[in-house]
Amino acid sequence: MDPLVTTQFLNIAFGIATLAVLALGLAIVFGLLGVLNIAHGELVMAGAYAAWIVQSAGLPYALAVPLAMLACGLLGWLIEAGLIRPLYARPFDTLLATWGLSLLLRKTAEAIWGLGYKSVALPLPGTVDVLGAAYPRYRLMLIVLCLAGVAALAAWFAKSGAGTRIKAMVANPDLAQAVGIRTGRLARNAFVAGCALAGLGGVMVAPLTPVHPFMGIDYILESFFVLVVGGLGSVAGLVAGAGIIGGLGSLVSAVADRTAGYTAVLVIAILFLWLRPRGLLARA
Amino acid sequence: MQKRSVTRRGFVAGGAAILAAPVVLRHARAADPFKIGLFYAASGPAALFGPTQKASAELAVEQINKNGGILGRQVQLLLADAGGPPAESTKTAVRLMVQEKCDLFVGSHDSATREALVGTIKARVPYIYTPIYEGGECAPNTYVLADTPEQQVRPSIDLLTKEKKVKNVYLIGNDYVWPRKTNDRVKQYLTAGGGKVIGEEYVPLGAPNKFEEAVTRIKGAKPDAVVITLVGADNVNFNRTFAGFGLDKEMLRASMLLEENTLLGIGAENSKQLYNCMSYFSSVPGAAHDAFKAAYKAKFGEKAPQLSIIGVDCFAGVYCAKALVEKAKGTKAADLMAASEGLTFSTATGPVTMKNRHPDKPMYLAECEGTNFKIIKTFDNVGSGEACKQA
Amino acid sequence: MSARFEFRGLVAGYGGTTILRGIAGAVAAGEVLFVLGRNGVGKSTLMKALMGFLPCREGAVRLDGREIGGLAPPERRRAGITYCPQERAVFDELSVADNLFLTAPPGAAARLAPLAERFPILARRREQRAGTLSGGEKKILSFVRGAIEDHSLVLLDEPTEGVQAENIERMEAVVREQCAAGTAFVVVEQNLAMAERLADRWLVLDKGQVVAEGSGRPERAAIIAHIQV
Repeated sequence: MDPLVTTQFLNIAFGIATLAVLALGLAIVFGLLGVLNIAHGELVMAGAYAAWIVQSAGLPYALAVPLAMLACGLLGWLIEAGLIRPLYARPFDTLLATWGLSLLLRKTAEAIWGLGYKSVALPLPGTVDVLGAAYPRYRLMLIVLCLAGVAALAAWFAKSGAGTRIKAMVANPDLAQAVGIRTGRLARNAFVAGCALAGLGGVMVAPLTPVHPFMGIDYILESFFVLVVGGLGSVAGLVAGAGIIGGLGSLVSAVADRTAGYTAVLVIAILFLWLRPRGLLARA
Repeated sequence: MQKRSVTRRGFVAGGAAILAAPVVLRHARAADPFKIGLFYAASGPAALFGPTQKASAELAVEQINKNGGILGRQVQLLLADAGGPPAESTKTAVRLMVQEKCDLFVGSHDSATREALVGTIKARVPYIYTPIYEGGECAPNTYVLADTPEQQVRPSIDLLTKEKKVKNVYLIGNDYVWPRKTNDRVKQYLTAGGGKVIGEEYVPLGAPNKFEEAVTRIKGAKPDAVVITLVGADNVNFNRTFAGFGLDKEMLRASMLLEENTLLGIGAENSKQLYNCMSYFSSVPGAAHDAFKAAYKAKFGEKAPQLSIIGVDCFAGVYCAKALVEKAKGTKAADLMAASEGLTFSTATGPVTMKNRHPDKPMYLAECEGTNFKIIKTFDNVGSGEACKQA
Repeated sequence: MSARFEFRGLVAGYGGTTILRGIAGAVAAGEVLFVLGRNGVGKSTLMKALMGFLPCREGAVRLDGREIGGLAPPERRRAGITYCPQERAVFDELSVADNLFLTAPPGAAARLAPLAERFPILARRREQRAGTLSGGEKKILSFVRGAIEDHSLVLLDEPTEGVQAENIERMEAVVREQCAAGTAFVVVEQNLAMAERLADRWLVLDKGQVVAEGSGRPERAAIIAHIQV
């Protein structure tokens, strides 16, 4: 195969894999709690700043992963207790509250670090030969890690007791409580996990893009499209959504240009909202 | 007034009035400052530049006021946010003209807002537009300090075609008027210099853009150089992706709007073989610029907002206002327009002279060295290429 | 009687409407209390209140002398109460096996073995999604899930709805065996015949209040007088 075609295929894989992980936290929180966390992108931003702090301090980049997940998880814990739980079962109010939170987080980041772009150096520079195509090492690593991570999560969700309890809680919350599942605690843990995953996403993208207080907006938008297309409540839906949104965007961008790619994504998202609002693989 | 015999009492009162007159007049002047409305990016996508724009304008106002103001009136800066939609800025402009009796506007913002403001102000108040733009603004009583494609492109393309022997060029930019007009000029000079464009693409402005696909296409097209008219975060993203794919070692890059903040975002390891031509870099040498930087640092301290072309343009804007109004001895549109021809005024890097309501200015060709700009060539008195007729 | 479980003066409802207007009852270890009454008199609401799904505005709920009125449903489960609801009695998305063992305590598998012999459908459909079962089969699954939990009190809300006669008999046998082992039952049931065979105590609800009660097997005629309009 022509190395350029190989490269474009890798680009598509890269688009899908990274988007799946970026949307994962949002999907977990939306699927399990029915909460659309508008501040998800700002947690990605917080994770990216954590990566920048770790690198600026001269520490190994891998250390940013636990640090960002811990920081964002803690943030998520506070948000759940202060904002999500008091507004339980009031989806529109939660939407507004997390939107307000996103503004607050952006302004907080601006107050601490300013509006200027921060640059995070690639922890794994250079390119590696893939079937004759020189592909950036770090991007290739992300493709592998993201796909492995999502596959591992899917397996865990399908096989583990915790995964089954989560499914039970989503399917029939009253019965879940009756059989002894502490759904409140499970929901909080799910929210914290979703926030920690957003932080992980931030560490992942920090070396690729400028780190600045407004970077989160880009990620919430695409992640939201993934949920619209894929539907809620299954890992398969998430992968399908990321595949269609990320894949279509990359594919059309590769064949035509970025404007066409972005238009295709918007058109698909609108069509889904219009004709199939529950998404491709929503739970029955 | 009634005729009255001059009484002693009247005489005394009259004398007191005459003696007091200068004091009264001075009070009237102090209560009647020269008001400059500054349209800058207090919010929105360009808010990154807001602090520098405001600080630079404030520095100019402070210096001018220390030296007697404009026509003896103290200058007062009225801040207006131009970061929102153009319609918001026009509302603000109307309020400033009607309620505040604003004497003059200085604007550092995008062209959409400029066009809306020109249509709203209708030459009733002089308007000085300062950042980088695509050219073509000749509205009456409007004065443009911005770098034009002619000023930016010719030195850049000369460098590519003559010194770097570039033949094939790939163009990538955001999809709006400035990149497209600039690229028209790029093609013109490239053809004249024996080169050609082998690819051209635009990405939407304000969308969550990724550049893996475009960079792969560029890799396949194998140009000798890429001319970049992307702005802000897109410019950072593209250059990081470009270097990530290893193309920074294989071809040259010339960016048309690459200032200090953007270069910090691109990062030292991604800025190899990256060139840029603008009228301002914080590393421009010269006594005038050193004095400006010292005053800026003295006023705003070590944590002063990062100096960049979008920002220090407001310093020149305020100084241009002073020179223009004082030469015209007032703010009548016809007088101002006549006065603008051949007008000399200060900028952060030294004086420039206006022709056709656009200044001729020195342009600097810079090569990125890590996150610094190394000036490799200076071009004196580069014309704007704009031919606005005197009204 | 020393009560295994008792509730007194329960007042509860949804939003502004009050459904339970001061209800009291009690059941001793090894006994079955039947809650009878027409549709819509508050029987299921009472069961939800007893499990903690519905906060009581007034009243007390005690299990083995311990006040449990402030506990949430999962905590009541841990305190030893099993609840088999009338509606949405199983997790449709999960397999039959997952329904049985989702939160099952150690020893549940051993307790299941004799029950699986009585209800062979469970073994046959073990890996199937519970959503594919018929209404009566779901009731059996729910009942068995409850029966293998470790408990001192079982709340059954309409356990025989849609269940075939021979399986109802098997359910009754299980209730008797667990009573013999010391478990108390509170059963809401339309099926009066079952009450006649199993009840140690009974009470009849109407308009959110207890209108008749007694111990021993209820007299059909007395009950019907209360149940008919």
